[in-house]
Amino acid sequence: MSKKFTRRSLLRGTLGGTAVCMGLPLLDVFLNSNASAYASGARLPVRFGTYFWGLGLTDTPAGGTRWVPATTGPGYEITPELKAIAAVKDKVSVFSGFRAIPEGRANLVHWSGHASILSGVAPTASGSFDEASFDTRVADALGGATRFKSVDIDASMSRTPVSYSTRSGKTFASPEVNPLGLYTRLFGAGFQDPNSDNWQPDPSIMLRQSVLSAVKEQRQALMSTVGQADRIKLDQFFSSVRDMENQLAVQLERPEKREACNPPVEPGELPRGASVDVVNENTRLMARLLAMGMACDQTRAFNFVHTSGASETYMAGNSKIYHQITHDEPTDAKLGYQPETSRLAEQVMEGFGAFLEELDAVPEGDGTLLDNTLVMAFSDTGYAKIHSIDNIPMFLAGGAGGRHRAGQHIHQPGEPVTRVSLTAMQLVDTPVGEFGRGTMKTARPVSEVMA
Amino acid sequence: MFSRTILTLVCLTVGGSLSGPAARAADIAKGAEIYQSACKGCHEVSIGPPLAGVVGRPVASEPGFGSYSDALKERRSLVWTKDELDHFLAAPREWIPGTLMMQTVPDAEERAALIAYLETLGSGSDVEEGTAALSIDQPVIVAVRRLNESQYRNSIRDIFGADIEIKARFEPERREEGLQAVGNSDLSMTSAGFEQYFGLARSIAAQVLDPARDNALAACSQAGSMDEQRECTEAFVGHYGERLFRRPLTSEERAVRVHTALESAARDGDVRQGLQLALTSLLAAPEFLFRIEMAEPDPGNPGALRLDGYSRAARLSFLFWNSAPDEELLAAAATGKLYQADGLQAQVARLADSPHYEEGVRAFFSDLLQLDGFDNLVKDPAIYPKFSQVVADSSREQMLKTLVDLLLVQQRDYRDIFTSNETYINRALAAVYRVPYPADTAWAPYTFTPDSERAGLLSQVGFLSLFAHPGTSSPTRRGIKLHEIFMCEPTPDPPADVDFSKVKDSKAGTVRGRLLDHMENTGCVACHRRSDPPGLALEHFDGLGQLRKYENGQLIDVSATLNGVAFVGAGGLGQLLRTDERIPACLVRNVYAYSAGQLPAPEQAEFIRRSTREFAGDGYRLPGLMQRMAVAPAFFNVLVPEGLAATGANARDAGATGR
Repeated sequence: MSKKFTRRSLLRGTLGGTAVCMGLPLLDVFLNSNASAYASGARLPVRFGTYFWGLGLTDTPAGGTRWVPATTGPGYEITPELKAIAAVKDKVSVFSGFRAIPEGRANLVHWSGHASILSGVAPTASGSFDEASFDTRVADALGGATRFKSVDIDASMSRTPVSYSTRSGKTFASPEVNPLGLYTRLFGAGFQDPNSDNWQPDPSIMLRQSVLSAVKEQRQALMSTVGQADRIKLDQFFSSVRDMENQLAVQLERPEKREACNPPVEPGELPRGASVDVVNENTRLMARLLAMGMACDQTRAFNFVHTSGASETYMAGNSKIYHQITHDEPTDAKLGYQPETSRLAEQVMEGFGAFLEELDAVPEGDGTLLDNTLVMAFSDTGYAKIHSIDNIPMFLAGGAGGRHRAGQHIHQPGEPVTRVSLTAMQLVDTPVGEFGRGTMKTARPVSEVMA
Repeated sequence: MFSRTILTLVCLTVGGSLSGPAARAADIAKGAEIYQSACKGCHEVSIGPPLAGVVGRPVASEPGFGSYSDALKERRSLVWTKDELDHFLAAPREWIPGTLMMQTVPDAEERAALIAYLETLGSGSDVEEGTAALSIDQPVIVAVRRLNESQYRNSIRDIFGADIEIKARFEPERREEGLQAVGNSDLSMTSAGFEQYFGLARSIAAQVLDPARDNALAACSQAGSMDEQRECTEAFVGHYGERLFRRPLTSEERAVRVHTALESAARDGDVRQGLQLALTSLLAAPEFLFRIEMAEPDPGNPGALRLDGYSRAARLSFLFWNSAPDEELLAAAATGKLYQADGLQAQVARLADSPHYEEGVRAFFSDLLQLDGFDNLVKDPAIYPKFSQVVADSSREQMLKTLVDLLLVQQRDYRDIFTSNETYINRALAAVYRVPYPADTAWAPYTFTPDSERAGLLSQVGFLSLFAHPGTSSPTRRGIKLHEIFMCEPTPDPPADVDFSKVKDSKAGTVRGRLLDHMENTGCVACHRRSDPPGLALEHFDGLGQLRKYENGQLIDVSATLNGVAFVGAGGLGQLLRTDERIPACLVRNVYAYSAGQLPAPEQAEFIRRSTREFAGDGYRLPGLMQRMAVAPAFFNVLVPEGLAATGANARDAGATGR
């Protein structure tokens, strides 16, 4: 009889056989020598996600900015609008100077920038992309083994749910918009605690599988007499059905133990409101749930929206929204920049800081969840006052399981934003050699940040 | 036995080297592209003058256009020759300083192509020639349109009963050309979305087949022999399948579900569970979740397609009832009655006569007026303490109640919605309008008094709060939405490089003052002088729609000028809109677009014009308009979808139409 010595059986022993589920700091004895895997040999998964916020960061029109660090390479200094990431700066690389190139197409305000970053080409019309967003490719590569291929979140409290993740260029993901919705998706019905010792396959899952095969049966018949646009829609529908089948298949297998998994309690309702303090609080709570969802291996890919392109967030009590302020506020003659805009930018970045802190707060291996994650963060514009799509602020945060040489400032003015996107894809081992179209097509990742 | 597909590609384009007419055709095509991307955004929505006939026309001479700049008016003796246009397009503001034209076409070849295209606009020559035409001899799918949330809910209610609970988050919708009905035609379903619909399918099937629920068809469990059980299951799947798919199931569609049900029943000895699985798979099928519209060759019109009977039934039912067809309508489709004028007439009259018709009209206006915005409307509580979700929901309901009463119950002139002060209020709204609410019913009729300054739908709290910012009013947003919703004239996005440095900060003063600064800025004026005036006339209503006369201590002026016509306040605006010819024409277009999920094709332009004339002749009454349109053959004409040829070659064995 082989005696399995796991952290949890040890714990159970000490507590007299009761099934206990609680997160504990890891002891080295459970890890292999380089700590990228548990002693059982299972490697810790690498996760990938995007983080978006609206309205960029602030330039000082006379020259310089409120956010680009003066020095490049490792050990960059914290500028005023980067204050919020100071605590985790060694895990964050800052990319400045990169630009979206519309190539004769109009710069569609609050759209062309992030559409270029995600789809690799400046779009022809606002509201749609000309190519799929690249996060879907990463999710396809990473997501097969988890219940959800990808989880989409929108913390912005906007009028309509915001997502920039799309497979068809027209249908965008439908995000979770509050902590309760996200909790229910990740930890509600269908959640199987990976650390539970009395796991049993749910027989009703096989019944559901039979339902889905009936749904798919008529695929050929439907596809035979259909135009191009409708074919794309039906294709996506059936690919969503396949994702559901995959989800069911995953649920029929005993989940691998996840030491860092400690399912949270159901959150309450948040007050509605789109002021930046509320959005940041929503961001923190949803980041915490997402982090635990990844620790419990429910998903390995996500897209997180803090605020939308032409962000409607505002300082509580102020009659003007952020978007309006970026355009209307004059540059302060003495300071050389828009003071209120810059203050709002700092606040918005606090959302990003909070997001990263939550990922960094979950211990995993000999580090944290953030060390096994790569987050690509970016905005729709550089300097929002003039809808600039030059110098769009971009960040890569997290260790990507040791692949990311984090903590650097990369300054490459005029280079296409797609290079950072390609870098992100390659850091998490997506099988992609080049990305983008036209002038933004690139096969050159930013190698300085790749280990 | 499946019919063979024969797809014939008739290509009219002349091949070979480009010279003479071919080169010109290529130029025109390129010019058309430039026109689409650079010109039409303004010139088709009366920000700039219409361009048909511009080549050879005197400068600033389009009679219907009242917004020429002084600079152009001063040059009325000039004619837009090709040469003159070429200079102008190269650098408009250098060639004629003071013009409001914002677009430049710096490339000489592109200018030549554009001018060649503009010449064709006036001549009536058909630029569509040279595209491919298809002839098709079997039914094809012409549209795949995702059901929206209310259509889904109503379908379930009408098919299974109002007691079925539907708890899920629906996929976000998309608005194109002002309508979700059009935008949703572009949408598919994401993984997260299907997850929701699949969960919903399971929950609905479980509720429908709950043993506590009296359901005759679930009595299959009492069936004795295997044959009886099969027969019962087939009837169950056939019945609900036809209602959910809005057409009879094909034999394959039915067989696969009957098989699932019987197999599960045999394995687990649970007949109800088997039926539940079959029903779940109907509810999770694309044929239910999407409206899949089929068309067939039109026997009366060789080469053209018409919607088939069941797709007609669905179009009518969703237009008039915002729900799936009932059994009578499906039966009319089955017997071919929807192809015949009198049969169609009878069904349309029945639909319009039903109490469900109000739901159809509500759904149409909810989409048109973008009332979905109330679901997530946010106002800063520090600035608008009276705002709450109750106020938001009440505002939406007030708009719909007003419209239903005026247009459906009283059958008034559609244009009265801009002037009539008859409405309904409830207690929550009475507080915002600052009027007493003496009634003890939830809602009560109410007529705004003259001193309220209210006039028509646009001065209701709903429109005013929906199209404003969280902490302030927005004349621009109100004006843009008014043009988009009621005149079918969208406003182009602002140019990315617009120079905001000239816009003054205005912590003090009025929003009006800030916007009038835009009017002095050449980069802004072309659009803002159109978008802002209606909103400026509504400035006595703050971001929540509450009456106010002062802003930051200054008296607000509500006079405005649009297209050369001066007016004052909400009352003046209402009067102006009531006589605007674009407004009824736009409604007709929208009734069609809402129903078809797309804008009218050029082939339908005459149908839309005729319907507009008849609308006027009938005193602009909405029910008459909808009924006349729904019985016209043109209403059911459809175009061959692009890219069908590519798949047609493989189509013959697939048997899409075993019905």
